[in-house]
Amino acid sequence: MECIVQGIIETQHVEALGILLQGLCGVQKEQLRIHELCLKSVPNLGSVSSEVKILCDLVPPETTWTVRHVGGSMRGAGADQISVLVRTMVESKASKNVLRFFYALGYKLDHELLRVGFAFHFHRGAQISVTVSSINKMLKLHATDDAVPVTPGMQLVEVTAPATSENYTEVVAAMSSFCEHLAPLLHLSKPGISTGVVPTAAAAAASLMSDGGGTTL
Amino acid sequence: MMSTPGPGPEVYANAQQVLFSSLTRSTMMKGLTQSQPQLLQLQQEPVPSQQPAVEALNPAVQQQLNLEHVKIRATSLFKAISRILEDFDGYAGTNTTPRWQDILGQYSMVNLELFNIIDEIRKVSKAFVVHPKNVNAENSMILPVMLSSKLLPEMETDDNLKKDQLLHGLQNLPIALQIEKMKARIYTIAAACESAEKVLSETRKAYGFGARQGPTITPTLDKVQAAKIQEQEKLLRAAVNYGEGLVSRDQRQMALALPMHLADVLNVGPEMQNLVDTSGVYQKITPTQINTISAQSALLQASGVQLLARSGTNMNTPSPQQQSPQQQQQHQQQLLQPQQRPKMMSLSQHQQLLTQQQFRQSAMPGPGQLHGQPQKQQFSQAPGNHKQFQGRQLASGIGGQLGQGNLMSRNLGQTSGAANNALFNAAQTIQNTQMVPNVSATMPSQSLLPSRLQYGLSGSNPQSTHSSQLLNEKMLNMGGANQTGMLPLQQQGGSQGAFGNMQQPNAQTFQLNMVALQNNPQNHQGYGMAVLMSLCVVCSWFM
Repeated sequence: MECIVQGIIETQHVEALGILLQGLCGVQKEQLRIHELCLKSVPNLGSVSSEVKILCDLVPPETTWTVRHVGGSMRGAGADQISVLVRTMVESKASKNVLRFFYALGYKLDHELLRVGFAFHFHRGAQISVTVSSINKMLKLHATDDAVPVTPGMQLVEVTAPATSENYTEVVAAMSSFCEHLAPLLHLSKPGISTGVVPTAAAAAASLMSDGGGTTL
Repeated sequence: MMSTPGPGPEVYANAQQVLFSSLTRSTMMKGLTQSQPQLLQLQQEPVPSQQPAVEALNPAVQQQLNLEHVKIRATSLFKAISRILEDFDGYAGTNTTPRWQDILGQYSMVNLELFNIIDEIRKVSKAFVVHPKNVNAENSMILPVMLSSKLLPEMETDDNLKKDQLLHGLQNLPIALQIEKMKARIYTIAAACESAEKVLSETRKAYGFGARQGPTITPTLDKVQAAKIQEQEKLLRAAVNYGEGLVSRDQRQMALALPMHLADVLNVGPEMQNLVDTSGVYQKITPTQINTISAQSALLQASGVQLLARSGTNMNTPSPQQQSPQQQQQHQQQLLQPQQRPKMMSLSQHQQLLTQQQFRQSAMPGPGQLHGQPQKQQFSQAPGNHKQFQGRQLASGIGGQLGQGNLMSRNLGQTSGAANNALFNAAQTIQNTQMVPNVSATMPSQSLLPSRLQYGLSGSNPQSTHSSQLLNEKMLNMGGANQTGMLPLQQQGGSQGAFGNMQQPNAQTFQLNMVALQNNPQNHQGYGMAVLMSLCVVCSWFM
């Protein structure tokens, strides 16, 4: 299971967000460059069509492959009260022929995208990961070098934390409290719910950028 | 003059009372007037009556403290003071002017006595009392607390708690180390506070907050901008969560060169790369898409041409007019229709190449049936040829071919994947089935066999990267050489009534073929098993 929230931020404020996260998390930021291939099964393969994501981490020196299956999210009145989406998720590292394997199983490529950005992984009540990335699409099949952003002026911020069915309430609380710290720059919400930008983002970003080196505005 | 007796025996607990009594006696001797009744009262106090009510001090301590001495001093002091008081009373009573010199003399006496008694008291109380030396304004308030030997109970517990908190983890170390660590801690905290202060002050300066401004007005976005942002946001979220809008159909072209991480994953051989890549594409079917098939036909023809490059070389020569549009249509549909799976296509394409070589001329029922036909052709072909085996005296020939085919498969089978093995099995099937009609129908074409076998043998020691190439070329050559053999097979297919049904795409015949195949396992068991295996693998993919 994982808890996840998403938010958007304008590209001009991404650097400020990086500084804020650096201060909040206390760890170094890691570069992120992931080629995501989303494979869908054909109807004959199972009773329900399923979707699998193959993530290829392109950060040098070695490419690592991950298989990820995202399931349904928690529903109900309790889920509505939580500001974070809790959903089943299974993830595993895989060898590099995982793509061929899934093709052989009968899955087909549905879409692919490239995430380029940075990420922070730290522990604050729960093992939280924050990724800030621009989502790029590839004009030609698998051409990751020529990817263009889907929305050039906007990037995606995702905050995720793994959870189990026993401890998800604590994880949710830890994530919510962390997300509040990001309030000056962006609002985070469940995937699928739009938030818009935060009006104080510009001022907050300016203050973060100006204090970085002690320079005055 | 006797004084009136006192009101009653009173108990006095201190030496001062004793002094009083002795003083009264002494004052009486000096001719006191009766205006000092209080002094006279004390006359009758029994000194011994005090003693049972008071605990006597330890005689040793008594000796040490020299209480008697103190008593004497106190007495004399008291006497002097009282003398002065008496004189004043006398003066007041008689209205005479006091003689100041006498009074001053008496004051000086009192002073002297005071200093003496202070000295004595100091000696006495040294054992019991702490006498601060340096008392001034600032420490007079806290001196009592400081001098007290024990804190108040609640203060003490608080103190203990704080001490534990601070020294947590440090209590085992020697004191010097503890002190060092505490100092270091204090230093870092002080440094952090200082830097925070600095930052805050700079921020204030930068924003002019020092002037006590109210909250700044947050800038609101104008509607146009907000709408744009919302639209962008929708795009982004849809792209990430649902994969919409990422690649348009028109743009779904194959990359000329795969990126590094995919190159070695998807690349089995240089010519297979193209096939596998495009076959891996899954295109969502939307109503608009079906209408734009014509628009895509150019694209697909390009890829179709690429895909069919192998088959094109063979198939175009027998009947180019028939085959080219049909090929393109077939591949368009193969690419468009969602039911087909990529790997299936990639392998089945190879099989299709060969089946098409054989059946292309015979029945091209139309685009609608092309979908099922290639696979069915293949299935129908195998049992058909299988049945053809039965009546043939090809045991030796096929056995020989089998041996070489196995050799080939061993070498080629070393390359990755069951896919390749199945492919080679299928290739064996087709190879051998092709050989069958050639042998049966036209004897002259038997010369093709050795050439193929030789080719197979010569090619049986390839590098693994070339093995697939080899296989393809082998199949191609077989296909090329088999063109003459196609006709006989088809004739045979037509001659045998069962086969006529197989060419119609029909689920029943499909199953019939499967049943027929499974019912004839005993013929050429080694070869039959290979056929079965390949069929089962292909069936499982299709299912």
